[in-house]
Amino acid sequence: MTPVYGADMLTLEGENARVFLNQGAMVELNNSGIEGMATRPVLDAACMAELRALDPDGKAQLVKRVLTTYLASLAKLVEQLRVARAEGAWEQVSRVAHTLKSSSASIGALALSALCADIERLLRAGDVAGASALIDPFHAEVSRVDAAVSQTLQHLEAAAS
Amino acid sequence: MTLHHGVSLEATDRRPTVLLVDDDEVNLLMTAAALRDRGFDITSTTGGEEALTRLASWTPDVVVLDAIMPGLDGFETCVALRNMPGFDHVPVLMLTGLDDEASINRAYQVGATDFFVKATQWSLLAGRLRYLLRASRTRQELERSKAKLARAQDLARMGSFDWWQEEGRSFVNGLELSEEGLRVFGYGPDDRVNLRDMLRMIAPTDREPLVRLARQILYQVSVIATDVPMTLPDGRFRIIHVEAEPEFDEHGHCCAYTGIVQDVTDRRIAEDRIRHLANYDALTNLPNRRQLIWRAERALEFGRRLGHQVALLLIDLDRFKVINDTLGHAAGDELLMEVAFRLRGCVRHCEQLFEGVIETAGSRSHRTLEAVGRLGGDEFVALLPEVADEADAQRVATRILEALREPVVVAGQDCFATASVGIALFPRDGNTVADLLRNSDVAMYAVKSQGRNDALVYTPRLAGRGREKLALESALHKAIERDELVLYYQPKIDVANGKMVGVEALMRWRRGDLLIQPADFIPVAEETGLIVPMSEWALRQAAKQARIWADAFGFSDSIAVNMPNRMFERTDLIEQISAAVRDEGIPHSMIQLEITETGLMKDLQRVIPSLHRLTEIGVQIAVDDFGTGYSSLAYLTSLPIAEVKIDRSFVRDLGVLPQSLAVVTAIIALAKSLDLKVVAEGVENTRQQDVLYGEGCTLMQGFLFSKPLPPEDIQAWMEQVVLPRKAPWMPPVPKARTGTETIVDGGRRS
Repeated sequence: MTPVYGADMLTLEGENARVFLNQGAMVELNNSGIEGMATRPVLDAACMAELRALDPDGKAQLVKRVLTTYLASLAKLVEQLRVARAEGAWEQVSRVAHTLKSSSASIGALALSALCADIERLLRAGDVAGASALIDPFHAEVSRVDAAVSQTLQHLEAAAS
Repeated sequence: MTLHHGVSLEATDRRPTVLLVDDDEVNLLMTAAALRDRGFDITSTTGGEEALTRLASWTPDVVVLDAIMPGLDGFETCVALRNMPGFDHVPVLMLTGLDDEASINRAYQVGATDFFVKATQWSLLAGRLRYLLRASRTRQELERSKAKLARAQDLARMGSFDWWQEEGRSFVNGLELSEEGLRVFGYGPDDRVNLRDMLRMIAPTDREPLVRLARQILYQVSVIATDVPMTLPDGRFRIIHVEAEPEFDEHGHCCAYTGIVQDVTDRRIAEDRIRHLANYDALTNLPNRRQLIWRAERALEFGRRLGHQVALLLIDLDRFKVINDTLGHAAGDELLMEVAFRLRGCVRHCEQLFEGVIETAGSRSHRTLEAVGRLGGDEFVALLPEVADEADAQRVATRILEALREPVVVAGQDCFATASVGIALFPRDGNTVADLLRNSDVAMYAVKSQGRNDALVYTPRLAGRGREKLALESALHKAIERDELVLYYQPKIDVANGKMVGVEALMRWRRGDLLIQPADFIPVAEETGLIVPMSEWALRQAAKQARIWADAFGFSDSIAVNMPNRMFERTDLIEQISAAVRDEGIPHSMIQLEITETGLMKDLQRVIPSLHRLTEIGVQIAVDDFGTGYSSLAYLTSLPIAEVKIDRSFVRDLGVLPQSLAVVTAIIALAKSLDLKVVAEGVENTRQQDVLYGEGCTLMQGFLFSKPLPPEDIQAWMEQVVLPRKAPWMPPVPKARTGTETIVDGGRRS
């Protein structure tokens, strides 16, 4: 699967290089087994820092709003994906993956974002089998992200009160 | 965005408004937060439909669209947005996936301004948005400036064009006009026009010289600047100004022309009108002095170059002033127009001349200079640019005289507007237009003095007389102002009793040391109209003199003043006389007026009313030079005249020519039968006196008694000649009542 990423990744520069590294880790992960994933944080610290930087004094409660919104849309989108997949509506699956890819990347759920990107790309290339193979890892990662985000929100609530 | 937005955006610190459209609410939240933080005013929506609803009532500075959205996606939203009025140029930034090349291409196809790969690099996004806004502003300004230019061009009926060379070095097809340029020719913005279409709008006669000019311009690679008369496809005739500059390729070869076309018809019409006003006489529409001189100068150049003669005919109407004075200026103008029309028919009159055309139109082109023009007043000029000889010019002059022979009806009257024509030939009679004009003038004056209504070719012999006359004319003008005119007085005698019965005032001109006789200046005065102020002066002067003599020696007779007939036509003559006598406190009867028989008969009907009124107020009328005219006896019986004066020519020949005696006898008999006084003029010797006396004429005037004397000498003459009764003409038997009594009578003031 490595060649699928290669060309696009190499064009990236600067901040995006980090994305490349994260996705590069993903490639390794796919090669070396599921246990590799556990060694990395579910939510990328740098991304979270960036998110916090958008609302430095926390006045707008941006982080909380973003994460709350994310959780809501995650639940909604995962459900949509499940239904679509059951119906074999691969195009719908691809669109859900697309949306989840970018919002996940935004909050630092880079592994999930990378999985979504893979699913979207494979489906666009017509590789339904390849995409299907990633659905289970996708759900596993969704659970981890959901848990991590929920935990972060609880911390925030605790800190606020 | 309103038109002024772009301008104010830069000037004020207003936050640029952004409509953010993304179905990914997380991303929407974050992007909005990031952009707000970077100075943008963000409005967020989560779908295409909602975005379009928003845009129906609001126009942001920039729209950011997520490409992939459920429902109306970014591409569809962009298409819909571009179709909304006013959204043609609002910048749209499409957010696409990192690896989504298809979306990127599609983004441009649907009219997005730019794309941006979705990422959390907010500074990059903000930078991209600012760039878009700046570009949009620049674009707006450009659009506005283009619109302004288009508007200005439209107003100026102007448009631009490019004309380039195609392969094979041909300029035939490579023509493109701007929308405004097409409009100049009446085409729509989508019409396609080539050079052939353009040429088809030009009249064939203009086409060939234009093509020749174009070839020359292309050959010389010079600037195009020319006016082209064209008939547009809709049939309108227009003059199109074309102005263009060459463009060069890298080898320095002219590869194209770029420039403008402009409808200059109105300007040309105005210019032509101005040129016409400057060159043509407004009344007759003939070339004026300026235009004539220009034509004459060109004609002389051709004459010089080609070695032929040029003729200039100066045409001056006879008696125009009389017509103008008696029938009024309107009638005078009418006459001039008719004369202009007739004169035009006498030559190959060429109406319009385009400067420059004449140089290129071949060897016979100087013929187009031929014209009749009006110098001013009643003076016309015929310019014949090529004549073989004097006879050629004379033939035209004869034609002119013929044309004016028929009477012209003005103000309901037949007028005879005959002319005097002076002819001068180049190079014989002058090398310049000024010389030719002057010499034709001399010839014309010679015609006038020889009785008018004729043509004469200039000869140097005429010149001397003409110049002298001109000098006389201008000096006479000044004579009145300088008080150089004087009245001399010649007594009238009643030889029956040896008494003076009155004097005739005779005008003299004391010009330096010379005393000029009336015969030498009265004709000029008549011709120039100066006779009027001179006569008025004479009236006042005579009244003054009557006063002086009345006071000095009891003068109570009348002073006879010569009046030209035109004075009798003046309505203010009575007032003039009344004012003169009133000022001096003398009776009207002390002023007598003399009018020549010829003058009287010239326009009898117009003079009669004056004669009646003058007689009523006590001013007696004497008819001078009687016997020389052709008086109708019938008229004479009814005219209010008091006296006839026998012309000196008859008196002179008394005793020499028997016919003279017959005439004199007849006049005396006539006068007696009509109860008129009769005075014999020019009596120089006692033999004449005796004959006249024998015929019953006792009133006489002449050198026998006294020559005309300056006023101060009259009293001396009275005292030394009349009172002593020593003169040979005194009656042989003095009566008891003598001149002494005259003085007594004369002392009476009334």
